[in-house]
Amino acid sequence: MSHGPQNRNSHPTDAAIPVAEKRNEVDRSREPLFELRAISHSYGRNKAIFDVNLLVWPGEVVALVGDNGAGKSTLLKIFAGYLEPTSGSLRFMGEEVRFGTPARARALGIEAVYQDLAIVDQLSLWRNFFLGKEIARKIGPLQVLERRRMRREAETAIAKLGLTRIRSAEQPVWALSGGERQSVAITRAIYFGAKLLLLDEPTAALSVRETRNVLASIHQARDHGLGVLYIDHNMNHVLPVADRIVLLEHGRIVRTIDRGEVGVEELQELIARRAQNAES
Amino acid sequence: MKSFTESLLNVRELAPGLGLLFVVLFFTLQTGNFWSPETMTAVSSVASTIAIVAVGVTILMISGEFDLSVGQNFAFTPIVWALLFVSDGINQWISLIAALGLACFVGIINGLVTTIFGIPSFITTLGMFFVLEGLNNLLITGHQLMMFQPSTAMWLLGAQIGNTPFYMPLVWMFVIAFVFWFVLTRLRYGNWTLATGGKVGPAKAMGVATIRVKRINFVLSALLAGLAGCMQFSYLHTVTQGQGQNYELLAITAAVLGGTSLFGGMGTIWGSVIGAYLLATIQIGLVLIGVPGSFYVTFIGVLLVIVVIANVRLGRFGGNQA
Ligand SMILES: Nc1ncnc2c1ncn2[C@@H]1O[C@H](COP(=O)(O)OP(=O)(O)OP(=O)(O)O)[C@@H](O)[C@H]1O
Ligand SMILES: [Mg+2]
Repeated sequence: MSHGPQNRNSHPTDAAIPVAEKRNEVDRSREPLFELRAISHSYGRNKAIFDVNLLVWPGEVVALVGDNGAGKSTLLKIFAGYLEPTSGSLRFMGEEVRFGTPARARALGIEAVYQDLAIVDQLSLWRNFFLGKEIARKIGPLQVLERRRMRREAETAIAKLGLTRIRSAEQPVWALSGGERQSVAITRAIYFGAKLLLLDEPTAALSVRETRNVLASIHQARDHGLGVLYIDHNMNHVLPVADRIVLLEHGRIVRTIDRGEVGVEELQELIARRAQNAES
Repeated sequence: MKSFTESLLNVRELAPGLGLLFVVLFFTLQTGNFWSPETMTAVSSVASTIAIVAVGVTILMISGEFDLSVGQNFAFTPIVWALLFVSDGINQWISLIAALGLACFVGIINGLVTTIFGIPSFITTLGMFFVLEGLNNLLITGHQLMMFQPSTAMWLLGAQIGNTPFYMPLVWMFVIAFVFWFVLTRLRYGNWTLATGGKVGPAKAMGVATIRVKRINFVLSALLAGLAGCMQFSYLHTVTQGQGQNYELLAITAAVLGGTSLFGGMGTIWGSVIGAYLLATIQIGLVLIGVPGSFYVTFIGVLLVIVVIANVRLGRFGGNQA
């Protein structure tokens, strides 16, 4: 891959969140990392996603934007194996997959930060961090937890990302602030995410400093060749990190915007206008 | 490094432990014979079986479900066992395994019905309570379920330990509590149990097999209730359909007194054991100071409510309350 400055952003509103400007062009001649083919999803009788086709390449940040209730989180949960789509198929690294459970998706290197399913409040930090991917010694049929190691690694990972001032991994998570909890979930996804990161409004509860760290982490993940699906309502966050912006409306993709095609205000205008048109 | 006092304060068993200490001290001072062998036998035999039932109920409650059928199962399993090997002359071990298998089957039904139809386990197991109560009445009519010469299996489950005032259920209680403590705090399965009861959505999203965890815990709860019932039968040499009456409520009470959250996600095994000892000590102690035998439940009821209020006030059930 060649390094080279491309598509510089020069919108004044971007100034608030300075992130690395140097970036590689996404190589779309390769095999896509993840593909949704003709995906539809219904919650009971309420249809939320209509025939969506979406590709994510390695080393690409795809931003999903759209109004409240557009179906962004639903789509992300389908990526993550949390929801089984009503129809359509998923392909991961060129092969058709059916996850059934999030455990299968995680085993393949797909990690998610959910908007509404971040953390188990009663568990201590390290138990949350390693939940579902515990480090355990196998003794016969038993999976004996390596508690000390998990405690240490959780503390190191959180300190390394500099997201919070959490002192001990033994603390129950309900004693943390909303932003700190969010940070734990993000750190976990980045720690385990090997191929694909799914982030649903990860910065919603974060301070400016932490938001900056998260956006930098997204960049870093991208530079390491991970695919990223990123949901955010704040276009000042979306524009600097996204290679492609997918506009979702009432469960349908209505527009795909390439990096550098539009500015923040234009984008905001676009989303608001479409939402208004839809209402009338 | 955490200071010693800080780590001591973090021990969840501390509060119920101090409560037990206080109650024991109270009865020691108020009665002359609290430490007599007879009293020790009475307290430990009542407490041991309730504690074993409570351990199963605790791990199930931590995963976010209830089991109201344990009290009836506590009679049902030994009735089946006794019918098979006392009345029908089947080998004692085979009949014990068959009876415990049936206890597990009860747990499987509880778990499947609750998870497949998504109804509250409160209702599923209340239904099972009545089903088993009816079966117990049906099975026991016309039968004299007494055993004058205990078999080896009965000896192993309920005999006196040497010349001490203690009986085998006490030993089993420690063994079982230790195993379940290990499962809950040291195994991956324990982590999954805590997470499932804590918040089922995030647990599932992280890849925890929440439905399987709940089903297994329903079986564990039923199995321990049946096993404890067999111990009671082995200790008393007789079983009636009234055995284990109210045990479903006493087990939940023991768990709650020991710090287990009613909302799931939090609790300790040793806390429930301490809770069972609190119940037994109060029951026997009140008799010793001359209070009519059946009055103790009134006292327990008041205590239960006070403990829950205190826990909520102190934020021990944190995260669930506003
Ligand atoms: N668990 C559910 N059961 C039933 N309907 C649901 C459920 N979750 C979402 N929906 C419906 O699906 C549609 C899409 O919801 P979704 O959460 O995906 O929107 P979103 O784009 O993430 O919105 P937001 O920006 O508010 O997070 C909405 O109409 C919503 O009412
Ligand atoms: Mg959403």
